[in-house]
Formats: sequence, structure tokens, C-alpha cells
Amino acid sequence: MTTVVDVYVAKDYKSDLKPIWCPGCGDFGVVQAIYRALANIGRAPHEIAFISGIGCSSRIPGYTTAYGFNTVHGRALPIAQGIKLANPELLVLVAGGDGDGFSIGGGHVAHAIRRNLDLTYIIMDNQIYGLTKGQLSPTSPKGMKTASSSFGSMEDPVNPLLYVLGYGARFVAQGTPADMAGLAAVVEEGIRYPGFAFINVQSPCITYGEADQQLKAQKQRLEPLASLGHDPSNRLAAMELAQAYGTKLYTGVFYRDPAPGPTFEDLARERQAQLEGQRVTREHVLDAFRPE
Amino acid sequence: MTRDLVIGMAGSGGDGVVAAGEALMTAVALDGYYAMLTKSFGPQIRGGESSCRLRVATVPVPSPGGTLDVAIALNWDDFLRFGGELPIGGHTVVIYDSATGVAPDQIPVAGVRPAEVVPVAIGEMARKAAGTDKAKNTIVLGLLAGWFNLAPQHIVSGIRKRFAKKSAEVVAQNERAFQSGLEYAEAHPLTSDCRLEGAPADAPPKLVTDGNDMCAAAAIFAGCEFFGGYPITPSSEIMHFFNREIWKHGGTMLQAEDEIAGIGAVVGASFAGKKAMTATSGPGMSLKTEMLGLATIAELPLVCVNVQRGGPSTGIPTKSEQSDLWQAAFSAHGDVVRPVLAPVDVADTFGVTIEAFNIAEHYQTPVVVLSDQDIAQRKESFDAIDTSVFTLEQRRRPTEDELRDYLRYRFTESGISPISHPGMKGGNYLAAGIEHNESGAPTANGEMHAKMNDKRIRKFRPLAGRHDLFVVDGPDDATLALVGWGSLAGVLGEAAAAARAEGLRVKTLVPKLLYPVAADVYARFFRSVQAGLFIEQSHQGQLHRLVRMFVDLPPGIESLARSGSNPIDAGLVLARVRQLARGLQQARAPMVEQVG
Ligand SMILES: Cc1ncc(C[n+]2csc(CCOP(=O)(O)OP(=O)(O)O)c2C)c(N)n1
Ligand code: SF4
Repeated sequence: MTTVVDVYVAKDYKSDLKPIWCPGCGDFGVVQAIYRALANIGRAPHEIAFISGIGCSSRIPGYTTAYGFNTVHGRALPIAQGIKLANPELLVLVAGGDGDGFSIGGGHVAHAIRRNLDLTYIIMDNQIYGLTKGQLSPTSPKGMKTASSSFGSMEDPVNPLLYVLGYGARFVAQGTPADMAGLAAVVEEGIRYPGFAFINVQSPCITYGEADQQLKAQKQRLEPLASLGHDPSNRLAAMELAQAYGTKLYTGVFYRDPAPGPTFEDLARERQAQLEGQRVTREHVLDAFRPE
Repeated sequence: MTRDLVIGMAGSGGDGVVAAGEALMTAVALDGYYAMLTKSFGPQIRGGESSCRLRVATVPVPSPGGTLDVAIALNWDDFLRFGGELPIGGHTVVIYDSATGVAPDQIPVAGVRPAEVVPVAIGEMARKAAGTDKAKNTIVLGLLAGWFNLAPQHIVSGIRKRFAKKSAEVVAQNERAFQSGLEYAEAHPLTSDCRLEGAPADAPPKLVTDGNDMCAAAAIFAGCEFFGGYPITPSSEIMHFFNREIWKHGGTMLQAEDEIAGIGAVVGASFAGKKAMTATSGPGMSLKTEMLGLATIAELPLVCVNVQRGGPSTGIPTKSEQSDLWQAAFSAHGDVVRPVLAPVDVADTFGVTIEAFNIAEHYQTPVVVLSDQDIAQRKESFDAIDTSVFTLEQRRRPTEDELRDYLRYRFTESGISPISHPGMKGGNYLAAGIEHNESGAPTANGEMHAKMNDKRIRKFRPLAGRHDLFVVDGPDDATLALVGWGSLAGVLGEAAAAARAEGLRVKTLVPKLLYPVAADVYARFFRSVQAGLFIEQSHQGQLHRLVRMFVDLPPGIESLARSGSNPIDAGLVLARVRQLARGLQQARAPMVEQVG
């Protein structure tokens, strides 16, 4: 008997759905990088669940051949965790915008990190709300003029990198479609990381975004962390570098916990195994209610 | 001798009245009695006043009962704090700790003279027999066993089991306390005779539990493998039960960061192919609304339990109400039909929860189970349930053949399309909250939206014919009718039985499927009816108005609806039924004269 080993190439992950992003949107590059990363990993598309919230960026699962779920605004992470717990064998990807992840869904990020399921969370950080036509986002720089901040934003932006490092994230990286090879590499590394991985992608909005955030400008100023000699096992050094969010554009891995430890689903399986001996057949669930 | 005894007890936190009630409940269940135990606490989390109410009978107990047959006060002030829940009547025997400083003729209950008032030095007896005030509740158990014939052997074996973990000395202390109460009762007989008849010798063994544990057990029986939730009174025990049991069945649970995440994880687990459930109460239900809409359009099965409490907002967390019906049925944007079911008592929670999973799986939809604090947190003893009568449904998966040109949302005659899940080769699709075509691809096409809405609503048509989800009782041609749901079903049955005993022709309807409204069932039921009542624990009479949206009711149908923490009892319903009957008679009288 011969076993057939399926080999996948990038286009096996590309669906027939035609993206409706504005021409020039950074998200085109993000989906390309994901195709590449998935091909390198080689999991069959039907074993991948790709979950997103709502926003331009959240359309991304539809452009892949994986099982996709384009859910409601801000709630991709809880749904993805339910999927992974229900079936730990699946490769589960989660994606969304900066608004989706750090405004409406901000409350979920800390807990996804704390629980540490083996998920890869990709934020397409364009510092603006694209889908609703150009309002302030939680990562918009202070002073930025948008449809909802005509006279300039009066709020400090959140720093997604520092946030997740502060919450205790075990894998934190940043990429940009201005550097496709680098982006595909961090996505692949994030997926391979055995635990919750966070990847911030500086994916520019060509329609409502600032000029200095566009791909061309990014290319000029991006600095690979590897070239700085940064040690990704050093959380404090990672936090130091993360401070530069909004001024510098570091790419690559900020932090990778060298001793990842068990994931939530590992612990769940362990508990199931421990307690299996105490299982009563379903027909006997009511026996617990027999008084003695 | 009586076949039915209602006992109410109240005391301070340390008095252990609830523990005494629980011990009594177990003992009488072992004796083969039917019983119902309800508990009530003051606002303080620990150490405040608490009360319980136990109704014991030789026949199934339909409700907590009206005024007490026996009132036990370890402290009068604490007792009076539960005035509405522990009402004293002309037939009540009042037993209280004489150390409380109230004289028998001073028992301060406005306008009521109890049948008998018995001061007992309960605290002093406890100190003498056990050396501690803590044994007051065991003294009470002895008094009850002696005066009312309540399961002495089982109480003693209960004491042994309960304190076995502590020490032999504590067991002995409590046995002495029990004995001392028992002897006191035997030496000082009551004048009123309210000893309980013995349970039938062949009484089958009973089960004892509350609605929340029953709900979780039923879900596990139904094959639920995932629970996601967030603590909220009075639903949390459902999560606690899952946490203790689900791992043993290879399943998982998640205490999420909030209700949105709780139901989100459930939506995810369902998408991944598993039966999944969440449970919450009022405010949590509000938060889950957006996800319920998502599961509706993505056509994902799930069960969402709402253990109703007093609302709106934080309302009264520890008291029951039936005021979330409209929310369950309608809180969604867009065109949505969301099945809503309600159990009528603890035992019934088993079947109704299983039915909720069956409907969810079959129709690929979220289903809301509206339990209420009363059912959820009261304990009942009931006959063993034959689990072999339940069938379990699984969502319809695509066959190998169907996977060859798979369309997740394929238009079928029934509106139900086979559902795949990640891991299933060839079944890959995009689920979404956004409108989609048959394959799942997003669309903003109005015609497609109309067709999809039609598919999603049409599929529920067979539910209208589910007569088995309605309980009709009484003469088919009765002119008087009672309708009620949830925990009030028992009250309604009790009132109807009393009315029939008075010669009134009354029939009852108890819907367990509340929404979609099965118009035919109501129309058929009301055909012979000239006057009737919808009995509900809400201010606006939510079921009455909901049914009227879909059914033309006869003119004499009224609403008996009341919010507030004091439940509607059978006496109140009976009084209204008599009124309706008189009204019908008067209306008929002039007709007779005309004919003559
Ligand atoms: C509960 C809810 N509130 C608001 C919206 C409207 N909404 C859709 S996408 C979005 C923000 C999108 O911004 P972002 O998440 O940064 O993604 P982008 O479109 O920029 O990729 C908003 C506010 C919604 N769909 N649901
Ligand atoms: S609005 Fe911005 S983010 Fe949205 S598709 Fe267009 S360019 Fe991309």
C-alpha cells in the first residue's frame, strides 16, 4: 500500500472569491503572506479554521480555501477558542483589524493570552477604521484628523505590542506587506509556535490612511529586529523595543518564550484523561441524584 | 393525619435552617415521599437571615404551597423578614425558640390567629444535649420527627453521614440533640393533628435535585460536549455541574471573561461540530443577543439557557420572574425565529433540555431554554426517570456524495441543508454573520437575502405541529380555561384541581414550546372556552400578549399577571376562577328568561 502525501503550494490556499479591498490595500499582501506560510507548513485546507471579526481586514478568511468564519465585530477570539477546545487537532488562525481587536474586542485579548491556546492572532493594524469609512482607531496617533476627529484626535493611542507583552504573551512579532518574505516568515513562525502567537501587521489603508504609513514609506524605514542583534528570549528588551511603536517600524520577532509550557488544550486533554476512569455512562447521569 | 404538609423555617445565618431543610428533604425522599424545598436568603452573602420551605406529600408536589402548616422560628425577627414567603394562616402551628422574648399571645402576625403557638427552649436544649448552639437545627429536626411523623431513622443516618467527616464526638452530639427534640415532642403532644400519613409501602425510590443540576445533567445526557459561560445568579450551578462532570465525558468547559465570550466559544464549538451550551440570567442574556443573531444566520445549533430572575437590569438576582419571554423571542435585529422552550418543574427540566438540543441540532439554530430561579434553585423529590424513552438528534451531515459539489446553505425543500465542519474534506465553506449565497459567499443581493430569510424561517414550520410540547388537561368541552408556563404550571394545576372539586368545568394548557407560537394548538384549545386566565409572573403578562399576536382569543380571556418576589399561589388563582365562573353564570341568566 502506498500512502499519498499531499504537497500544497500557495495557490491551494487561494479561494475563488475575488477580494473587494480597495486596489493598493495592504491586506492583499497579508493574504499572500498567509498563503505562503501555509504552503510551507503544508496542512490540508480542510483542517484549518480561519476566524475573523468584522472590518475590511476581517474579510480575509473568505479569500482562503480553509474553513472560514467571518463572525461579529470584535469577537473572533472567543469563537476561535471554542473551536480549538472543541477540536484541538485543527490549525486555528484568527485575524482582524486594530479596531476589531483593540477597541470592541480589546477585553478578549488579555484572556486569550492568559489561556494560551495554540492560536495565531494576526492584527492588520492600519491605524484607522476602514470598513466604516475612516474614523479614529485605538492605534491612530494623537492629533490625527479623521471623520470622527475633525480637529485632531485627543486620545493617546494604544501600543498593541506593549499591551500584549504586558499581558504575558508568549510570542509577539511584527511584520508588514512592504517586506513580504519577512511577513510570511513571522506568520509561519507564529503558526508553528506551540501556544498563543500574536502578530501585528502594519497593513496600510490606502483610502483613509496617512501618507507616511503607506508601503513605499514603510519600505524606507523598516528595521528588521534581527539586524539589531535583538535577543527574542528577552521579554524586557522586547518591551523596550516595543516602546518605539508609532515612531519606528521594527519587524520580526520581539519575543518568543523559550519554554512555552503546556497550552490550555493540553491541560484540558490531561484532565480528561485523569478523570476518564470516573465516567458514568450517559444513561446513568441521573444516578447522582439518588439520595443516600 | 394529613397527606400534605407545608413547613417553613427561618433563622439567622448560623442557625442552619437551610441545612435542616436539606436534611429533612433527603430523609423524606428516602421514605418515599414527594417533596419540594425552596430556600430564601436575605441580601447578605454569609451570616444573614435565611429561610426554607418544605412541602412533603404522599402525592407529587405541584408547588411550594400557600400558607404554612408548620412555622418554625429560631428567631422571630428573622422569621418576619420573610413575611410574604412564609405566610401564617389560621391553621398554622407556630413553633419558636422561647428565648426569643416573645410571649405566645404576642406572636406578631397582623390579623392572623394561628391554630397553635408552641414556645420551645430550642437553644437551651441544644446547649444541654450537644454543648453548642450550633445543634439548634438538629433539635428542630427531632421536634419535627416527633410531632409530624417525619422519617426519624433516615434523619439519624443522615446525621451520621453528614458529620462522619468531622468526628465521632460531633456525630454523638447531634444524635443526642435529635433525640432530645424527639423526646420533647413525644412528651408534649400538640393539640392539632397534622401528623403526616405514611408514604405508600410500595413507594418507589425517589430522586432529589434542583433544576440547575438537572439542566446540566440533561445536557450531558443529550451529548453536549462543550459549555461556555460566565457566573451569574441564579444560573451558575449549571456551570459548576459541567465543571465537575464534563471532563469525564471527554468534553470541555470554559469560564469565559464575560457572557459574550461564553456564548462566542459555544458558537465556535458548534461550528467545529460539537453539541454545545451556555447558561446565564437576565443581564447576561442581554449581552448574548448579538451572538444569537450570528448563530441564526450562520445556522449553527446551540442551546442557551436563561434562568430568569427579577429584572430589568440587575433587578432582583435571587428571586424568580417570568419576564424575559419577549426578550427570548424577539431580541434580535432582522427577521429571526428563535425557538424558546420552558420546563415546568425540576424533573421536566430533563426532557425539555434534551428537546432543546434536539430542536437545535435538527433545525440548525440557537434554542433558548427559559428556566426560572424558582425551578432552578428549588429541590424536588420525584420518581426515577426512564431515560430510554428519549431519542437524541444529530445535525444532518453531508454524505460523501453531497460533499462532491457541496453547498453549505443549499436551498432544500425543508430549508435544512447538510452541515459540515472543519476537518471534513470537501465540506470547506465560509460561515458568516453577513448574508451569503448557497455556498456561503457574501452577498448584498436583495433577492438572495429574501430567499435566505425565507429558508431560515420556513424550516421551523414543523414546530407548529408539535402538540407533544403542550400539556392539555381537563374536559375537552370545558368553558373555563387556565394557561400558564414554567414554574407556575404546578400552581395552575393545583388551582384547576380545586376548582374541579367544586364542580367547575376547567381545563388547562401548559405550553413548553413558547415560541414560535403554535397557533393551531391554542385555537383548538380555546374552541369551547368562554372565560379564562393566563397566569404569569411578570408585570405585563408576556405570554398572554405574545399569544395574542398570533391567535384570536375568545373575548373572556384575561391576564392574571404579577411581578414581584411573592409567587402567585393556587388560592389566588382559584379565587379568580370562581369569579370568572360567576360572571359566566350571570351572563347566561337573562338568556334563560328571554327563552322562557
Ligand atoms: C457591534 C458592531 N459595532 C459596530 C460595527 C461597525 N463596524 C464594522 S467594522 C468596524 C471597524 C473596522 O475597523 P478595524 O477593525 O480597524 O478594521 P479595518 O476595516 O480597518 O480593517 C466597525 C466600527 C459592527 N459591525 N458591529
Ligand atoms: S478602506 Fe482601507 S482597509 Fe479597507 S479595503 Fe480600502 S484600503 Fe483596505
